Amino acid sequence: MRLLLVEDENDIQSFLKRSLEEAGFEVEAAADGKTAQHLAVEPEFDSLIVDLGLPDMDGIDLIHKLRQSGVRAPVLILSARRSVDDRVRGLEHGGDDYLTKPFAMAELLARLRNLMKRNVSPGAEATKLRVLDLELDLLRREASRGGQILQLTQQEFVLLEYLCRNAGRVVTRSMILDKVWGMRFQPDTNVVDVHIYRLRSKVDGDGQTPLIRTMRGVGYVLKDR
Amino acid sequence: MSSKTVKGPIRSAAWRISLWATLAFACGTLLAFALLHRFVASDIQRRSDAWLSGEVEVLGDVAERTPKDALYGRVVGEVAELAAREVPNKTADETGASDSVFFLQEGADGSLSLWVGSGSGAATLQAVQFANISPDHPTDVQVQGFSIPFRVATARIKDGSRIYLGLSERDQLRVLRSLRNRFILIWLLLVLLGFALVFFTTRGMLSHVRRITEAASRIGHSDLTERVPTTERHDEVSQLAHTLNGMLERIENSVHQLHTITGSLAHDLQSPLTAIRGKLEMSLSETADGEHSEPIVSAIEELDRLTDFLNMSLDVAEAKADALRLSRTAIDLNELIRVMTDLYEPSMSEKGVSVEFQSDGPVRVNADAALIHRMVANLLGNELNHLPSRCTVSIFLRVQGETAIMRLEDDGPGFDSDVLVHLFERRVKGRASSGHGLGMAFVDAVVRAHGGSVTAGNRSLGGAWISVTLPLEPAYEPAKVRSN
Repeated sequence: MRLLLVEDENDIQSFLKRSLEEAGFEVEAAADGKTAQHLAVEPEFDSLIVDLGLPDMDGIDLIHKLRQSGVRAPVLILSARRSVDDRVRGLEHGGDDYLTKPFAMAELLARLRNLMKRNVSPGAEATKLRVLDLELDLLRREASRGGQILQLTQQEFVLLEYLCRNAGRVVTRSMILDKVWGMRFQPDTNVVDVHIYRLRSKVDGDGQTPLIRTMRGVGYVLKDR
Repeated sequence: MSSKTVKGPIRSAAWRISLWATLAFACGTLLAFALLHRFVASDIQRRSDAWLSGEVEVLGDVAERTPKDALYGRVVGEVAELAAREVPNKTADETGASDSVFFLQEGADGSLSLWVGSGSGAATLQAVQFANISPDHPTDVQVQGFSIPFRVATARIKDGSRIYLGLSERDQLRVLRSLRNRFILIWLLLVLLGFALVFFTTRGMLSHVRRITEAASRIGHSDLTERVPTTERHDEVSQLAHTLNGMLERIENSVHQLHTITGSLAHDLQSPLTAIRGKLEMSLSETADGEHSEPIVSAIEELDRLTDFLNMSLDVAEAKADALRLSRTAIDLNELIRVMTDLYEPSMSEKGVSVEFQSDGPVRVNADAALIHRMVANLLGNELNHLPSRCTVSIFLRVQGETAIMRLEDDGPGFDSDVLVHLFERRVKGRASSGHGLGMAFVDAVVRAHGGSVTAGNRSLGGAWISVTLPLEPAYEPAKVRSN
């Protein structure tokens, strides 16, 4: 997996590069828009990480320029701005994602993997989702485990569907808040955790193999093997 | 807004101004005419008096010189007839002068000795005798059988008789009446024209003022780039527009400066924070043994709290200065609060607190979704953190006039009285609170930035209430108002 990291702050660039490489990515780094444009021309990257505040151009303009020159890889935007403006939201609708600084590395990795997976297989047309012995009927809004129907609320079903769609990948609390509740911020109380506990008590009840795993300090993952 | 500026013409300032201006103009011209009328009337009088005096003198002369024979009556009568043809102010189509002029000679014994004129001379004689006219001053005499008085001049002849020459004031009055009629017509036209002129001029001028007002009210908290319309003219209105634009320029500059400061402050702090957090995380992954991981984890948590505090401080500071950037979209508050309540419900019930939400249906506001989310999350988070178990939080959403009202009530211990006074100020928190004391200041700031208001208090039955009002989406108002 090849990544292009565009970040002008030396400190941040170096730790990001190291962390990403440790996570198994091959990383090319650029400190400004010009270098990034130059690097992005040739071998295709699987994903791009772009900081908005570049010394020579605006990050959004860079993304538009790269898109025009044929770069199709998904972009994860890093923004130091507290309120993310409409242009970034526009990009988000185009399939890209954004993170505001400072961020947890785990969050970045989770979103990055999510982005690239989304890029490979959309799989949104499926009417049934199956993860091990867990089955979700998206038309009838029914979930069952080992043939046993689970009594889920509407909200719990949406939450479980999101976990299933990302089975095997870590989803963070802020990703869950964003995708299930449509909220781009982290409340200081961990309201999401309680939802997960409730869901887990229904999905992983009665001595079954636990499917929903907590990744401490990061988020949750639905086991797929 | 629209209800304030769009009025019927009757209530507009242009209408009032033109009404008063026209009234003043009408009174002024009326007064001028009255003076003119008086002058013309007296001038006509003077001219006819001069003619009467002259003619009566001539006639007196003729009467004196003509021998009192059989021809006397005819001679004097013809002279009088001739004189009558030269009557001043006579209209052209007037053929006979017989009824507008009379000549009368009164004998020394007071009997009628000669009469030239229409009708009988007796009534006229009686009238002139009764009027007792002095020879120097022509006098008005009302003769029986004539509705219009005669102007009569007299002269005494040496033989002791008196002659009288009378001129009907009919022509004089007709001239004055036609003058009056014409004036009233012209006056009416002038007044109407003046009214229309003043009305359309002031309306044109004031519509510019109205456009300025509309533009100024559109320039809200978040959009300072717009300017009020200006014109090429260099009048007071245009000066007002230029002054307003200058003021907006200065406000925009200072807001921009504030953004630059908060922006660079955020950037300058967030970059090192990001780097520190990254390094801490890396060292956390390196110390896999877990021996030193606890302090690192807590350092990361502290760092996150610091970031949160920093962001919220900057948001509150910007909102207090009316400089919070809003990206408004149409939001259904009913849906938003329901989703937020769903989100917080498990956490609340875990604590033994129940939460209920009551609403009449969709309530549309034009607001920044992310900020409203955080605002409601702050309110619900407060309840979650401060309510003891077995309490209930009730949220009511309703529409009143042009505002949406969201009211939170609980049956907990309520606000401390010393906290309540400063509830929406920065760094205010309850004794037991573990937060940074910005939550309610943030709520207040967000609601104010949207043109709403927050109030709070303690319920008489115990517990606290917080009420948030937000203006409804403009396009949504009329339908709602109609249904009320």
